[in-house]
Amino acid sequence: MHSHLEKVYKASSFRSILIPSATLQTNMSFALPARQVTFGRSNAYQQQQQQHALALPGGNPYQPQNGLALPGPSPLSNPYQVQQQQQQPQPTKSLSPPPAPNAVAGPSTPPATAVVPSTPIPLTLEQQHITAVEGIVPTLQNIVATVNLDCRLDLKTIALHARNAEYNPKRFAAVIMRIRDPKTTALIFASGKMVVTGAKSEDDSRLASRKYARIVQKLGFEAKFSEFKIQNIVGSCDVKFPIRLEGLAYSHGQFSSYEPELFPGLIYRMIKPKVVLLIFVSGKIVLTGAKVREEIYTAFNTIYTVLCEFRKP
Amino acid sequence: MATAYYEFYRGSSIGMALTDSLDELITSGAITPQLAMKVLQQFDKSLADTMVKQVKAKTALKGHLKTYRLCDDVWTFIVKQASFKMEGNETVVTPRIKIIACKNGDAIEAGKK
Repeated sequence: MHSHLEKVYKASSFRSILIPSATLQTNMSFALPARQVTFGRSNAYQQQQQQHALALPGGNPYQPQNGLALPGPSPLSNPYQVQQQQQQPQPTKSLSPPPAPNAVAGPSTPPATAVVPSTPIPLTLEQQHITAVEGIVPTLQNIVATVNLDCRLDLKTIALHARNAEYNPKRFAAVIMRIRDPKTTALIFASGKMVVTGAKSEDDSRLASRKYARIVQKLGFEAKFSEFKIQNIVGSCDVKFPIRLEGLAYSHGQFSSYEPELFPGLIYRMIKPKVVLLIFVSGKIVLTGAKVREEIYTAFNTIYTVLCEFRKP
Repeated sequence: MATAYYEFYRGSSIGMALTDSLDELITSGAITPQLAMKVLQQFDKSLADTMVKQVKAKTALKGHLKTYRLCDDVWTFIVKQASFKMEGNETVVTPRIKIIACKNGDAIEAGKK
């Protein structure tokens, strides 16, 4: 996580293409301990402003968050929990005790700077459901996002002047550009639309998109950074037990498609959340089609209970 | 016809020597500039063909690819800490090398079809 923060520092050179802060704040919670996040975003944000005093009027999404991070790694501080709790309805934005971390939380998490919850709010059905994951949290493997630079682009100029660019109009009508940090690939179209793939987190995806927008700007185009949207999130994980795919395909026929002669995995099209899962005999799972991280987690939690039923003896 | 060939071999030592000689001949009035152009075009073609057909030497290159670019069918690579392993088991190391890779004449013709 520290290397992540270092990365974040560098991003300050991209301020000129900042966009309103509201949409960025979801990402901030990433590095924050879960309990603080539940206070309401605006509060956590103000704290940061005070601590670092370098906030821009528009809000700098890439502020360092060292001051707030919990000491040791614990399941509590993982982003999964943070996000889950955010989903809970917030009756007030005051400093009322946040909902207690649910049973997955680490055994010896120090209270740190957070207010210790006095009256734990009973777990919702959804949260109880989440406790079934047994500490397995899907890892995000790929995030695909689109951006509109809102400016016609001359791709040949870009290809000639930018580094790590490929442009072969006979094959594909876009410049393919890569950067090393965050390691991503962008497809840049003449219309000014851009697709950024390969990021491992929402923050990285946004940061990379900004970097590409900046590169295009530096080449002399009036590129803006607008309509950033994450289109797809792919996660994967391992439940660490083998699965009877035939049984699963049979009893969940309306969601499953299992054709071992075509593809060794079972394709499970979950309706809610709308996520597609590839389930393999080995117990490895790939989840895709999500627009937000929570959908991956919810889908995994949902499927996990099902998979336990079809555990190979 | 002759336009299908790249002119970059003119910058090689043999190309420079040829250009110098042609210049001298033009200044002394022995040939016309048009003829000199013709000669250079033939040089482009001959060298491209020769490189493809007669040069069999090979080398293995290893290094860190710093940047790359593909535009107009020309690849450009900048490789850091490149080491070339020649056929005679001899190794040449360089901190930085720029590679420009073009299609040869035949490939250009094939691409047009």
